[in-house]
Amino acid sequence: MSTQNLPTLRIAHLYPALLNVAGDGGNVMAITSRAAWRGMSTEVVAVGLDEVPDFSSFDMVFFQGGQDVEMNVAAKDLVAKGASLRDAAEAGVVIVAVCAGLQLLGRRYVPSVGDEIPGVRVLDLETVAGPTRYMQHAACQVTIGEQTEVVVGFENHSGRTTLGPEAKPFGTVIAGAGNNSTDGIEGARQGNVFATYLHGPVLPKNPWLADAVARIAWERKVGGPIEMAALDDSVEGRSHDKSLALAHSHAGETTVLKPAQLARGLTE
Amino acid sequence: MTGPGIRGVTAVAVGKTARTAARLTGRGGGSSLPGAIARRMSPLLLSDIVADQAVPVIAITGSNGKTTTSRFVTELLRGQGVTVAQNRDGANLEQGVTTLAVQTAGWNGRIPDGTVLVIEVDEGALRTVAPEVRPRVLVVTNLFRDQLDRFGEIYAISDVIAYAAKRLPESSTLVVNADDPLTAELGLVGDHRRLTFGLEMDRSYGRITSAADSIRCPRCQGDLKYTEVYLSHLGRYRCSRCDFTRPPVDVGVVELVIEGLESTRLRLTTPEGDLEVTVPQPGLHIAYDVAGAVAAVLAAGYSLAHAAESLGGVGAAFGRLEPVHAGDHEIALAFAKNPTSFNTNLTTLAAAAEPKYLLVALSNTRVDGEDFGWLWDVDFESVVPNIDHLTISGLRADELATRLKYAGVPLDRMVVVPDRAQALDAALSRVPVGGRLIALAGYTPTIELREAMRQRGWVGRRWNA
Repeated sequence: MSTQNLPTLRIAHLYPALLNVAGDGGNVMAITSRAAWRGMSTEVVAVGLDEVPDFSSFDMVFFQGGQDVEMNVAAKDLVAKGASLRDAAEAGVVIVAVCAGLQLLGRRYVPSVGDEIPGVRVLDLETVAGPTRYMQHAACQVTIGEQTEVVVGFENHSGRTTLGPEAKPFGTVIAGAGNNSTDGIEGARQGNVFATYLHGPVLPKNPWLADAVARIAWERKVGGPIEMAALDDSVEGRSHDKSLALAHSHAGETTVLKPAQLARGLTE
Repeated sequence: MTGPGIRGVTAVAVGKTARTAARLTGRGGGSSLPGAIARRMSPLLLSDIVADQAVPVIAITGSNGKTTTSRFVTELLRGQGVTVAQNRDGANLEQGVTTLAVQTAGWNGRIPDGTVLVIEVDEGALRTVAPEVRPRVLVVTNLFRDQLDRFGEIYAISDVIAYAAKRLPESSTLVVNADDPLTAELGLVGDHRRLTFGLEMDRSYGRITSAADSIRCPRCQGDLKYTEVYLSHLGRYRCSRCDFTRPPVDVGVVELVIEGLESTRLRLTTPEGDLEVTVPQPGLHIAYDVAGAVAAVLAAGYSLAHAAESLGGVGAAFGRLEPVHAGDHEIALAFAKNPTSFNTNLTTLAAAAEPKYLLVALSNTRVDGEDFGWLWDVDFESVVPNIDHLTISGLRADELATRLKYAGVPLDRMVVVPDRAQALDAALSRVPVGGRLIALAGYTPTIELREAMRQRGWVGRRWNA
């Protein structure tokens, strides 16, 4: 199908004001800009607290990173959105989740203090808070369809995630800690749900990944293969390569940057 | 009263010598190295020289505006004849503060009576520095997202400042920004006094953008509702769920006119009466820095004598939209290190129909950070229509180029020149005679660009603070 005749791709951006901490809004911009450059149209709908849309009416859903406080607020709000999100995932809506998004789409998150936070069970995984934070450039190998590519980004999390049998790895760790620094797995994939710990934001500096997830969403929408014009990705490519070099420069380590000695809980 | 002791006096001497040596050899490091050496010899040195001798200290911490606020405090005090020593050059970690103390102290290790130390303290170093200097006044400018890859989360910074605030001596005053929900609650627990500053304007200057990183209620994490948004998440707010609201303002800006890229005209109300000033630096953030400085000076027990003249002479500091004459061109050099300082600069520039010719530079270093994901929270889109030509530089020019491509800068108006000095020449070559280049850069590239300007004879070796 030629791109001019394509219907508008509908994108839900979950909690854009709440979960905004690492520039992950750039992921949505990657999808909308690349579509615009190809003459394809998109529409982004912000979904905030207390709103429960029918997520199955969207073609893509973005659910991204935030700090602990915001994550708790999102977790409470997410209870009401859970059924609709599970239905959308079941129906094959493409969901892109980053960091806190990955954790809250799982079964549960166990913080170091306080009660366990139930997830919405879109992904078969669970996360336990760890004593140290992984903060570094990271890279992994990702296969989508017939293609395998190196995906780069920046990880910044203390949660240790383990996948259950239903969830497949999003990628295989090349450099960085991945989900837990032990099993060599980065992120999770279950159907059309793509979840990663990689910030960066990940889609602009991995245009292949941006196009791969967008293609799944478009093709599901129109029910068949679509043409996506080639774009000049040389600018993005240099960013990808520089990030990969930085990730390689400390491959094998679990964290390179140490948070300043600012442990939470310092105030009695 | 105990003095620094023989070991301490030796450490002071070694530190002083190291500073002279560093300056004479032109190797730089004159700001931090002497303090680092002196601290190794005598770990309690700063405490011995400052806290134990009850030296009056005004300390300024927070994410943005530390340096400018410190300069305003210094000039307000000097204007009334007070002797002030101030750390410069952003040397605001333990070592830099120790260098200041060593340099100000005599060879006997004592700071002369009557000298006030105005100390800019990095928010991460506050935990160490605060007990060693026991500030008479601690100013918290604001808390914006700054180097998440260093601190993990902004709430961790807030916790550290709350911890330091709680341990302030009874005779101290905490000065906080009332318009920032993250600092407004600081200092409510403890024995010290508290003074607030903020804007008292019945209009908004911004809207809550993605860079507004702390818009949860600090008490109950409810949604904050703003009647006015001034700058990022600073404004007049109240919690939609509990009774948390912006506290009353002791020093308030009630009139504010930003005049191009030249100056900011202000009227403030204070417990000592109204104050009208024109500061030769542009921007809304300048209003906050002036209000914070005025509050600090009052909190320290000084008057506002000659305040308008004192503030009227404080031009843009190193890299704060600092005007530079560059032959046939003008340059405004602005240092930007996080989404808020970028957005603050871009807002000021957009109001003046700038930037037409833009140079942007970022590098990943220990001080500049490694993760530049926050670039996607900078509202570059707001100035893209003004840009005739863009030069991108720094070790992470690649990240900037990607961000600005997606912000809508056409590729044929953009050139990437990683080397800073070459980028400066390349950027200026695009500017017509009499035109102005805007240079926006992270900490390290700002220093490098300024050094390139010095080599071309456009600025001196050091700047006046």
